[in-house]
Amino acid sequence: MLRNPEWHLLIVWYFFLGGIAGGAYFTAAIADNFGSPRDRNVVRTGYILALLMIVVCGMLLILDLGTPSRFLNMVMHFKFWDPMSIGAWMLGVFGLFAFVSSALSLSADEGRAPLRRKISLVGTIFGFFLASYTGVLLSATALPFWSDARLMGALFLASGASTGIAAISLLLYLTGDAAGEGFKKVKRADRFAILFEMAVLVLFLVLLGSAAAPLVSGQMAPLFWGGLVVVGLVIPLLLDLLGTRWVPAVIPAVLVLVGGFILRYVVVMTHA
Amino acid sequence: MARTLAMFTDTSLCIGCRACQVACKQWNELPMEAPEWTGSYQNQSHFTDKTYRLVRFIEKPQPNGELQWLLMSDVCKHCAQAGCLDACPTGAIHRTEYGTVNINQDVCNGCRYCVSSCPFGVVAFNHDTGRANKCTFCNDRIHNGLGPACAKTCPTESIQFGFRDDLAAKAEKRVAKLKEMGYANAQLYGADANGPLGGLNAFFLLLDRPATYNLPEKPLLPQRNVLVDSVLAVGAALLVGVTAVVSFRERGGKGGGDA
Repeated sequence: MLRNPEWHLLIVWYFFLGGIAGGAYFTAAIADNFGSPRDRNVVRTGYILALLMIVVCGMLLILDLGTPSRFLNMVMHFKFWDPMSIGAWMLGVFGLFAFVSSALSLSADEGRAPLRRKISLVGTIFGFFLASYTGVLLSATALPFWSDARLMGALFLASGASTGIAAISLLLYLTGDAAGEGFKKVKRADRFAILFEMAVLVLFLVLLGSAAAPLVSGQMAPLFWGGLVVVGLVIPLLLDLLGTRWVPAVIPAVLVLVGGFILRYVVVMTHA
Repeated sequence: MARTLAMFTDTSLCIGCRACQVACKQWNELPMEAPEWTGSYQNQSHFTDKTYRLVRFIEKPQPNGELQWLLMSDVCKHCAQAGCLDACPTGAIHRTEYGTVNINQDVCNGCRYCVSSCPFGVVAFNHDTGRANKCTFCNDRIHNGLGPACAKTCPTESIQFGFRDDLAAKAEKRVAKLKEMGYANAQLYGADANGPLGGLNAFFLLLDRPATYNLPEKPLLPQRNVLVDSVLAVGAALLVGVTAVVSFRERGGKGGGDA
């Protein structure tokens, strides 16, 4: 007789937005370090998006606590083997990196660019952490579906990367920057990320075997197959590869975001 | 650390009177809760944030078609390796000098990670206080020379309180005796300090397989997965990183941020 932790939508949103924060920061850092000056909008959008998401994430986590006024108790201790303990610390550390990177990316002084680039490479480590530790956190529980999934962290990371990239893509489109060089590269990165997420998802299901039942054939199955696999992965990938003219270039990104949310939803709510 | 204290619940002596359940409620000032129809005499169906001791009434079908009572007064196991304690990010869940596991209500912030980290589903979230609750091993009583209320009140000595090593030795003798009497499936659950979770500081003598009592045959520490899953996530991060670098690098192999 096991007990679920009564984590619901606030946590689903946190997992989703935390993934975006990590993915967006990482995308910006790569564009900053390996791209060209023409990718500046990608860089700026990514850093600032990450910062905003982290702020929202922190609020979601505090709201979800049974005793929100005691949120600081999370950082009165440090347990390196406890995903939630390190997670709380790293959310703060990553927030610091995102703040510094955002501030430096707004500066017109190109002399600060080398420093910004170096900082972002370190910050990316924390971004990846934020995107993936939530999966490891679930797998370190006693609940069967969560703890049988060896690749939960890897899957969340892959989804965090693709949703982070998609979110940048969406923002560039909305701010009228869809014609730029950066947008094309972001779309290319997103294509890779979707393919990678698909590969991890297949491996995830194979490794889970019969323990995947709640997802693939249980109550969550329609949402999982229809929402995540078809709408969130297959359709955006096909649209991206076929490149049809009558579908706005931003639609795949929107679908990837929807799929990323559904992934967190089906996983968290399976034990709710 | 002082000598480890333990509770030994010998289910073969339990008569299902529920004095332990009531004594626990009384001492810990746990409020009443709505009764629950379980199809049997048992109430509640499982531990709650207001029920720390719970007498389980298990009806086991016999070959002749009749039902046999299996009674078990269940409680938090105070595991030597406790999933809830390892999961707690605030340090509210701590090990006392007697080896028991306790939740400091002045520190718990209600994140509920412990709730899903208990291999026995013991820890429960209290919606009234916004904190997690479970058996305290009557921490206040054992610090004042009294046994836990449940053990103190048990009229058949089904629940015994004492030093862990003493009780474990006693339990071994009792199992041997029961086997002699024909209880072939009599067995100890959690008495072995080298067993699962490093042994349970509230251990049991069962008359049947643990599964019959809805107990896991081999409870595992949830945190065993952290290392492997983290390594796999790092691997995924490296692969994602490579694909992104390929996407953003300028064609022609110039690349490099400062180029």
